[in-house]
Amino acid sequence: MRPSPDPRRAAGIRRSGNNLSAIRSGFLALTFAAAALLYAPVASGQAVELDSRVTFFHEPAKGSTMTVFTPSTDLTARPWNFLTVTGGWEADIVSGASERVKTGPLSRAGPDAITGASIKDVRHIGRGSVTVRRDASELRAGGSVSVENDYKSNSFNASARTDLFQHSTQLEIAYARNWDTVCDLAHAANTDATLRQPLDNSTGCFQPSSTTRSEVPIRTDAFQLTWSQAWTPVLTTQLVYTGQLQSGLLSDPYRAVSLSPGGQYAQEHHPENRARQAVAVRGAYYVRPLKGAVRAGVRGYRDTWHIWSGTVELEAEKYLFPWLRLRATGRYYRQSEALFWSDDYTGGEPQYGPRGQYWSGDRELSPFSSYLAGARLIGTWSAGERRIIGIFEGLQGGVGLDVLFYSYSDFTLGGRAPSDTTAYIGSLSFTALF
Amino acid sequence: MSIFEFARRYAALFLGAALAPLAAGCVTVRPEQRAILADPVMQFQGDPREAAQRQHVLENREGSFGGSSVQGGGCGCN
Repeated sequence: MRPSPDPRRAAGIRRSGNNLSAIRSGFLALTFAAAALLYAPVASGQAVELDSRVTFFHEPAKGSTMTVFTPSTDLTARPWNFLTVTGGWEADIVSGASERVKTGPLSRAGPDAITGASIKDVRHIGRGSVTVRRDASELRAGGSVSVENDYKSNSFNASARTDLFQHSTQLEIAYARNWDTVCDLAHAANTDATLRQPLDNSTGCFQPSSTTRSEVPIRTDAFQLTWSQAWTPVLTTQLVYTGQLQSGLLSDPYRAVSLSPGGQYAQEHHPENRARQAVAVRGAYYVRPLKGAVRAGVRGYRDTWHIWSGTVELEAEKYLFPWLRLRATGRYYRQSEALFWSDDYTGGEPQYGPRGQYWSGDRELSPFSSYLAGARLIGTWSAGERRIIGIFEGLQGGVGLDVLFYSYSDFTLGGRAPSDTTAYIGSLSFTALF
Repeated sequence: MSIFEFARRYAALFLGAALAPLAAGCVTVRPEQRAILADPVMQFQGDPREAAQRQHVLENREGSFGGSSVQGGGCGCN
């Protein structure tokens, strides 16, 4: 679960420092997974899977290019047939730049009010889970710890799954809870929101001695019901309901929004509560002449900030060779604006002007649509009677590229259309089974 | 809205979702017919870790959430 209102797409930030607790958690989880295997009796169905991958995200733009590398390693051990233990580590290595003050087309300061500044940050995540399986049921519990210079997150998640009707029906219920903390300026309690200034950097964050920084909690509860159904030997469907409740600082503490024609700006100000719901329906159908499958899905979403969205996703995956698969993905997304969204809060109604007591410079709350096109090659090799090069029971490698295009209908930076509307997501993965 | 208010408001929806699969009880695919259903190309999230990383990117650029997984920690919102 990732709280979406981007509390960190920030401007003017240079962040660095250590994230030892998350690294320790990841190392601990990996060690736990390895120990689970070592202490298990031999010849009771042992298996170990090592998964390493890196995702590369690049969003080119004039003055606000963003690049993120996300390497990860997960170790999964199955010491007994009924038990699976997983531990892993992941990092987000970010470099780029972003806008600091959101202005609209009426701003007298014009685009000059928008200053881009460098962002450098590393987020470390340690995670682990335990899964217990018995007959047609499965229970899973897991958690993660992540640390950035200005954001900490602790999460717990649990799920229960059961198969019915000769495994044709599968039901799953899942719950997750996040205890997050975000760094903010230490505003006096009686400071009006219109006078609050944005955080300029992360120096002093999470340091007890700091008098200029405060720690603000964010709590997130998410739950999900999933019904998967096999209808025929070549057709399966899935129905998913997700609900999420968020509370706390749901805006970006670094972002400022221009509030008056004279150039006064204040820290972004969002409601402190948000309830979100989504329903998704998917289907997968195997096409024998193609030696592959087509998958289609739609998702509807709404929340208490009055955002409605719809997503349509199409995928086709087929075998090029018995060991090599090609997957093609297409996705279309469209959303409405939040109730309090305005591209410019300095003018008059109806098009520009204040929207109640909140203001936002977050493009995620503006109306927009996006397209995604992508492809992925996956190679899989299984050992026969002899292990691959004497070591592996199986190997899998993957390489993929997605391209994202955004079309903003009511978001500008000082009246100019944003230039960072195309993004590339590349991925490399390697999985070994011992 | 607290989690209890939320659950109370949508109790009928949850009950409906819980009971709907019972209607599928008359449809069964026998274990010996499930070879294709078990094939990797028939999985909704072919590679769950890859899907999670892509979902993370998308959720940080969209106002919506849900429909896939509720696991994972907060932020890394770049």
